[in-house]
Amino acid sequence: MSFKSAVITFPGSNCDRDALCYLKDLTKGEVHNIWHEETSLPKVDLVILPGGFSFGDYLRSGAMASKSKIIDEVVKHANDNRYLLGICNGFQILTEIGLLEGALIRNKKLKFLGKNCFIKKKFKNNFNLSIKDNQILQIPVAHNEGNFYCDTETLNLLKNNEQIAFEYCKGEFSNTEENINGSIEAIAGITNKKKNVLGMMPHPERAYSDFHQSQDGRLIIESLIS
Amino acid sequence: MNEELILQHGLTLDEFHVIRKYLNRDLSIEELGIFSAMWNEHCCYKTSKKWLKKLPTDNEIVIQGPGENAGVIDLQDNDGIAFKIESHNHPSYIEPFNGSATGVGGILRDIFTMGARPIATLDSIRFGLIETEKTKYLLNGVVNGIGHYGNCIGIPNIGGECEFESTYDFNNLVNAMAVGHVQKDKIFYSKPKSIGGLIVYIGSKTGKDGIHGASMASDVFSEEDEDEKRPSVQVGDPFMEKLLMEGCLELMSSGLIESMQDMGAAGITSSSVEMASKGNVGVYINLDKVPLRQPLSAYEILLSESQERMLAVIDKKNNHKVREILQKWQIDYEVIGEITDTKRVVFESNNKKVVDLPVEIIVNDAPEYDREFYIPKKRKNKDFDFSKIKLEDMIINLLTNLNYLDKSWVFDQYDSTVMGDTIREPGQSSGIVKIHGTQKVIGASTDCNPLYIRINPYEGMKYTVAESYRNLIACNINPLAITNNLNFASPLDPNIMGELVLSIHGLKTAAVKFNTPIVSGNVSLYNQTNEIPIKPTPVIGMVGSNMDLNKINTNKFCEIGNKILILGKQLTKNCSPYLLQDQKIAFNICEFNDLEVLDLDFEKKIANCVLELSDLKCIMSCNDISRGGIFSALLKMQYKDMGFRVKVPDPIDLFCEYSAGYVIEIRSKDFEKVTSFLTKKSAEYLEIGEIIKEGIEINSKKFDYFDIMNKYRNDFEKIIS
Repeated sequence: MSFKSAVITFPGSNCDRDALCYLKDLTKGEVHNIWHEETSLPKVDLVILPGGFSFGDYLRSGAMASKSKIIDEVVKHANDNRYLLGICNGFQILTEIGLLEGALIRNKKLKFLGKNCFIKKKFKNNFNLSIKDNQILQIPVAHNEGNFYCDTETLNLLKNNEQIAFEYCKGEFSNTEENINGSIEAIAGITNKKKNVLGMMPHPERAYSDFHQSQDGRLIIESLIS
Repeated sequence: MNEELILQHGLTLDEFHVIRKYLNRDLSIEELGIFSAMWNEHCCYKTSKKWLKKLPTDNEIVIQGPGENAGVIDLQDNDGIAFKIESHNHPSYIEPFNGSATGVGGILRDIFTMGARPIATLDSIRFGLIETEKTKYLLNGVVNGIGHYGNCIGIPNIGGECEFESTYDFNNLVNAMAVGHVQKDKIFYSKPKSIGGLIVYIGSKTGKDGIHGASMASDVFSEEDEDEKRPSVQVGDPFMEKLLMEGCLELMSSGLIESMQDMGAAGITSSSVEMASKGNVGVYINLDKVPLRQPLSAYEILLSESQERMLAVIDKKNNHKVREILQKWQIDYEVIGEITDTKRVVFESNNKKVVDLPVEIIVNDAPEYDREFYIPKKRKNKDFDFSKIKLEDMIINLLTNLNYLDKSWVFDQYDSTVMGDTIREPGQSSGIVKIHGTQKVIGASTDCNPLYIRINPYEGMKYTVAESYRNLIACNINPLAITNNLNFASPLDPNIMGELVLSIHGLKTAAVKFNTPIVSGNVSLYNQTNEIPIKPTPVIGMVGSNMDLNKINTNKFCEIGNKILILGKQLTKNCSPYLLQDQKIAFNICEFNDLEVLDLDFEKKIANCVLELSDLKCIMSCNDISRGGIFSALLKMQYKDMGFRVKVPDPIDLFCEYSAGYVIEIRSKDFEKVTSFLTKKSAEYLEIGEIIKEGIEINSKKFDYFDIMNKYRNDFEKIIS
């Protein structure tokens, strides 16, 4: 059975094309591009909320996109137990919708961060099944507000429910950082309680092709398909 | 009209009399504003035109040379590459964040106006000495501004340069370059096609920002001016630009647009005049129809440089469809006039013609000056004393000089991997991106050696072009064409004018030899404050390609045990300007010896060797040798904790500059093959050592690898904070 997926485009999304290519190349199935003003979603296995600066990041990153017409359908899709992945700005939108806990605040050095980062999986879920324990993935980040924050109570919930999917870590060589943006407990990605919704700051869609610096981003789609 | 008013508009009285005589009537204030905008250096190149005409601008791959919004070259099949560099120096000094941000915005509009989708940006930025708080403020603001705009719109930043030198203390330079991909049969030009076509306004509403920006950019500064001129700096909105870009590209690919012009410097005035001039037609525009952010006079509307605005010509029958597409992208759109057959530029406001001028007088009669210039005096030869120079001190001199340190602090603030086609990120000899959906790659590099050009403008410019050329060659990218940004001080000084003239001459010589025509460019003059002129800084942006992404070289070490070879010819110690300056041997510009004549045939010969060896897959990594010599090139190549062990006759050799200089890494098993190839081509080489793990060793002396690498990688941030 072929894997079907969709990418939502908001005004200001700038990784929507990248996400579409990522899905087309790796799933070999049907891939839809959905404009934010649509009011229906095709029945697909995975929806991606892509990176970018939806609505210029005005008000608060992701805040305005979370009120788009298509969002009701996205929420229904998630409630149906199907996969939903928010990357970078997509992660910010998911926290604004309330599908994921916590918030993404400004990076600890208060500067945009565009570089390779290293992550590993924390708790197992369907998005990281194909990744080995302690396997270090190299995936680029590009964000201003990627510093994950939540209160202690929420953090304990995230841990107890095993909702932390990825955490930043040092790479194999010197001069790599433990926690690139100051996130609480170096959190790079979390899921909802049911673990069908994942938000992550690193961009796996920029690390899958042979010519990319790393192909580790494939593992996420491979995990979902397997 | 009173003299003071004329001079305030940046026109000379002589220039005004030419206009007055031609029209045989007094000018309206709006008309004076138009001449002020169109006859300044920024728009009409009145000082440089005579010399720019001498540059080679055409060859078999040039589709569009200078004169349009951007140059376009042919990349086979249906692929074209549009690119251009442009300065935003003065605004970036007055308001670094918005000045640099709108510099990026402006150059991106130049690219998508041609129907091209931007695929990469680069930037060449120069600041004064970091010891002043002002420089720190400017550096932070400029880098933040460039990043903010490019990151938000989502175009990868793939390289550039960042230098510090005292003559830029009050005149920092911000030159932004953009590269776009266009289908050759879908290129758009500014020339309107039919009389009666509707002139439409697309994009942000017009406000007061940037009024007189173009004439400000053609002015000498004094420090007190800064506050007064701040309102002339435009404010950028990258989100709007993203919508505008997507909207315009959709309109163009739907075939709904006849021609398009970006409202950049001098706003609606310059874009409409250019439209009329290119098409040899007239334009009629009703200023009352222009979407406004706030109440403005006709004069202000004409000269506003509000950002993210386009002027297009469409067929009447497409009006409805155009509106629909732009509504989807939430972009303002208004029909404001039409193309006429009068060959006149007519602007109407409140049922009154406020401007009614023949296009001819504005464009063809624009002044062109043949300014006086001096040729620099011949330099005396001098032997410098190198006896007290110690290797350890030389390394420390490099590691305490911002110009040599790793600039991650700068380019980590830029998104360099968005669009998913980036192959080489900033920090390598050239940035490289793939043409989406193909195996073809585009490489680009920006360079300038101001010190060389001050010593000898003609030879120095040849070295500058050669450096860009080497940057591309090192990655196995075939150099194809050039865009230039000529940053100079006041051309009214014959010495400065001499540097301008001679460096253009040097650019011509090198561009002809390398068969890399100049297809677009920009001139920024009067870069001087408080009587301190900047060093001559004609920046080169060179673009090249490789049809097969698998053949690209890396600039980073690949494997421990591989051999390190040097190609090219070392400049003598006495004639290595950066060695003398940065090792604190020569202090004053008059002390330096003349440059060695650069043999461009030799450059080409060695470059061809690198390209051939790369195609034979014999080169594992390669870097060009520039400022800081072999040592600096090796530092830049370190990767995954690999270092180097080298032996040279004299350690100073490691810091000398080169002509046709490359460091190449080869496998031991390829050594015979490579060296016999080089011998056959009579290309001299020097085997200097090998790659080792976590070590730096020079003539058996061991250095602390992690200490040096830590300083190299992390001290930039420490010094500038």
